[in-house]
Amino acid sequence: MDRDLDMSYNNEPQYPSSSPSLRDGSLDQGDVMIRVWDLVKEFPQRQGGFFRAVDDVSFQAHRGEIVCLLGVNGAGKTTTMRLLSTVFNPSSGNAEICGYDIRKQAQKVRENLGFLSGDTGLYNRLRAREFITYFGRLYGIEDAVIGSRIREMTELLDMNEFLDRKIDFLSSGMKQKVSLARSIIHDPPVMIFDEPTAGLDILTSRNIVSFIRDCKKRGKCVLFSTHNMREAERLADRIVLIHKGKILADDTLGALRDQTGQVDLDDIFVYFLNRMAGETEVRSDEF
Amino acid sequence: MSFKKALTVYRKELLELFRDRKTLFTTIILPMILYPLIFIGYSALMIRQTGVLEQKGALIAVTDSVNDQYSQTIIRHLIEIENFQYKEHGEQSKELYEDKVIDGIITIRDSTLSPGVNAYLISVQYDQATDKGRMLIEKVRQAFSAAEKEVISGLLLDKGVSDKLLESVIVKEIDTSTEQKRMGMILGMILPYLMIMLLITSAAVVAADLVAGEKERKTLETLLVSAVARNEIVMGKYLTIITFAFINVIINLFSLFFSMRYMLSMSGIQTEGVRIPLEGFGILLLALIPLATLFASILLSISTFSRHMKEARSYEQPLLMITILLAMISFFPAIEMNKLLALIPVVNISLLFKAVMINDYQLSHLLLTIGSTIVYDILAIWMTIRLFKTEAVLFRVDDDSSIKNIRKVKQSLFNPYYGLVYFTLSLLALFYLGRHFQSGDNLLKGLMQTQILIILLPVLLLIRLLKLKPKEILRIKMPRPKELVLLPFITIPATLIVAYIMQLVDLVFPIPAEYYEMMKKIIKISPNPWILFLSIAVLPGICEEVLFRGWLMRFYEHGGKVMAVVYTAMFFAIFHMDPFRLLPTFFLGLLLGYLTIRSGSIVNSILSHTINNGFAIFAASYAGSRVMQTLFADSEHINHWILPPAVIIFAVSLILFHKATAPKENLCAE
Repeated sequence: MDRDLDMSYNNEPQYPSSSPSLRDGSLDQGDVMIRVWDLVKEFPQRQGGFFRAVDDVSFQAHRGEIVCLLGVNGAGKTTTMRLLSTVFNPSSGNAEICGYDIRKQAQKVRENLGFLSGDTGLYNRLRAREFITYFGRLYGIEDAVIGSRIREMTELLDMNEFLDRKIDFLSSGMKQKVSLARSIIHDPPVMIFDEPTAGLDILTSRNIVSFIRDCKKRGKCVLFSTHNMREAERLADRIVLIHKGKILADDTLGALRDQTGQVDLDDIFVYFLNRMAGETEVRSDEF
Repeated sequence: MSFKKALTVYRKELLELFRDRKTLFTTIILPMILYPLIFIGYSALMIRQTGVLEQKGALIAVTDSVNDQYSQTIIRHLIEIENFQYKEHGEQSKELYEDKVIDGIITIRDSTLSPGVNAYLISVQYDQATDKGRMLIEKVRQAFSAAEKEVISGLLLDKGVSDKLLESVIVKEIDTSTEQKRMGMILGMILPYLMIMLLITSAAVVAADLVAGEKERKTLETLLVSAVARNEIVMGKYLTIITFAFINVIINLFSLFFSMRYMLSMSGIQTEGVRIPLEGFGILLLALIPLATLFASILLSISTFSRHMKEARSYEQPLLMITILLAMISFFPAIEMNKLLALIPVVNISLLFKAVMINDYQLSHLLLTIGSTIVYDILAIWMTIRLFKTEAVLFRVDDDSSIKNIRKVKQSLFNPYYGLVYFTLSLLALFYLGRHFQSGDNLLKGLMQTQILIILLPVLLLIRLLKLKPKEILRIKMPRPKELVLLPFITIPATLIVAYIMQLVDLVFPIPAEYYEMMKKIIKISPNPWILFLSIAVLPGICEEVLFRGWLMRFYEHGGKVMAVVYTAMFFAIFHMDPFRLLPTFFLGLLLGYLTIRSGSIVNSILSHTINNGFAIFAASYAGSRVMQTLFADSEHINHWILPPAVIIFAVSLILFHKATAPKENLCAE
């Protein structure tokens, strides 16, 4: 029973040495994989006017780097990630994933992107293997390749026991593993995790955390969002603080500490919130 | 679009559906059990019940105030009815009948038809609303008809006339219909309804699950971020619905077919020469394909729009109800297929079905049915794909649209949903109140009441109630002279073009002569040309424009100016509740909407509307004049040569209007 909770990476499985997207570019360690500039997303409101969920956001993320999008609920994290994964169209500004334009090359962007959110659902009537195969086919991967990828991931995520069981009968930890396998079936160079641990128990969230670390180890660029300061502290190479759709700060934890004179990420966050409130004094009542 | 990926989606959806026990049960198992149960059980029960009823017989109170040999003959025939019992009719009979102790009262009196001719007047009191009552009257009628013959022949013999006279007229009925055709007629009545209902109900179950279900289970986003295009998803899901609906229909028919055959053979009905018309079914399945695809895409749109399955199921209800009503047309004996009906979805299939079943259909109707359904279908798929690409729809959240909120934030009233609600209410008011107003003797008064009380007043009241600024909301602003000069040059050619469109409509679906008569009646409501002009040109110009271009337009502006114009034109066309004028009024609605939204002034469309209606009155009133004779070939048809110059003048004036109202100049003017 504990098997699915225990993520043992001791055997260090190997990903296929080159994914198609990495082969065609000449990207090296440190290459910019996510480039976002002046990104704006407005939603029309019934009472007229627009609500700016993402307000002039710019940042970058590199190969082998874990970047954390940190903010309270409703800060614009999910909207930003949905823009990057081409679920939404930006109102203005733009972004590139692996050099592909999110507006004009949406299909290419999605091919190079693995996406996982905390509240992802699964098709309960499918077996785990069928579920992963389905998405593999949607990514246009040959069945033989899907087969071998599933074998690799089964080993990596220790899914052997339940691979041919219907998802409906799996525990939440097992389901989470199936979701993880689904998100990397096409071995994407960029991974986006939207609040991946929200609503999960401690053990399952630990699985996710080690999975994210593992992605970094394999040279992937990881962007993950959370409102959990502790998680951000533990995982992120760089932290992008976001509030009310605007970026408050974007730096390494160390640099942020130096800049603010605070140690705790909580305090750093509050420091920037106060600064933002100070800049727009009139609006301070909103906090 | 990669068809391979659409197929991947399709295969996965089917796999998932067939793993769902609930769907499996309702689509496959249930129909297999249901029909045998219905047919065999029901028919056995029917026969048994009728038998039981006849065995029970009836108790009837009888009085014979004539009491001669012939009245006794009648009584004798009554007594011969098996299981019937009689008692003397007395004072308490009425009470007993009301208490259902006795089932009927029969009285025989004599009456004088004309001097010298006596007649036996028999009255039978019974209750048609009960099974027993119906059985009673049927048996009694049989008895009377036998008695009648005997009595008349006796009377004739009394007068010394041969009773052979009774047989001087002999009617021989020769029914040329075959068993086959009679069977076809019955099938043609029931089957279309049944098949259409099966098609849409099974499609509805699946459709709700496919997108709204994915939203509910939070799997949609995963699908959207994978490397599959949205039209591929739509296509895969769309094929799933069609396949599933068809499997359901075929299984149902299969089960129905065998149950019916079993029932026929059991009931001992002459089945020789009676076949279920299989080749007819072939044609119908073919014609059902476009309908299935139409349902599939409409249902998929509903599912896409809905936030969860429950919502999808409730939004499906109106579609199901309309479909039921339309499909029921096969039950009406007098309605037959024609070219107009062939264009109305569901109705066309239903009638075609009926015609095919008695092997009496026209190929043109079949082609029109399939063709028109395919056209609607393409439109619906296009809509679905568009919806699926609209973030606001796919990720729709609940808005705070309570009345309280409207008071607070007035602008929140103006959303498409409330626009539709307002329009529907006006339409209902027009249907119920408007008919009432116009049903009186004074049509002129009725028309004016309709315009002012139903169309104009509610808008003004609401504006007042919500404390909105009428000038701003309704765009009441004086147009510039240039615009005013151009208006007649736009409107009069447009009126002629619209009349021409009407003529084209007439070519495809002949407009009945009564229709023109009705139109002429309106022109003649007043002999005074000024009153006429005021009541059917100026008043509708103001009232209808305030409603459509002033008020309703505001509800659709968030979706862009083009959509606002298209929606209000659509409402405008539907509001006239006249299928023949649907297309012409839609065209006119587009023009009027454009004039208002482009110039920012409702005065333009009011004037244009007035000119349009005024011109129609003028044309009708001065039909004999030389000008009109050059324009019109006869009272209903304009000359073909009119069209090119009308289009040119219309286009040029419209371009000039467009230039004159360019936004830049607008700014300068203000």
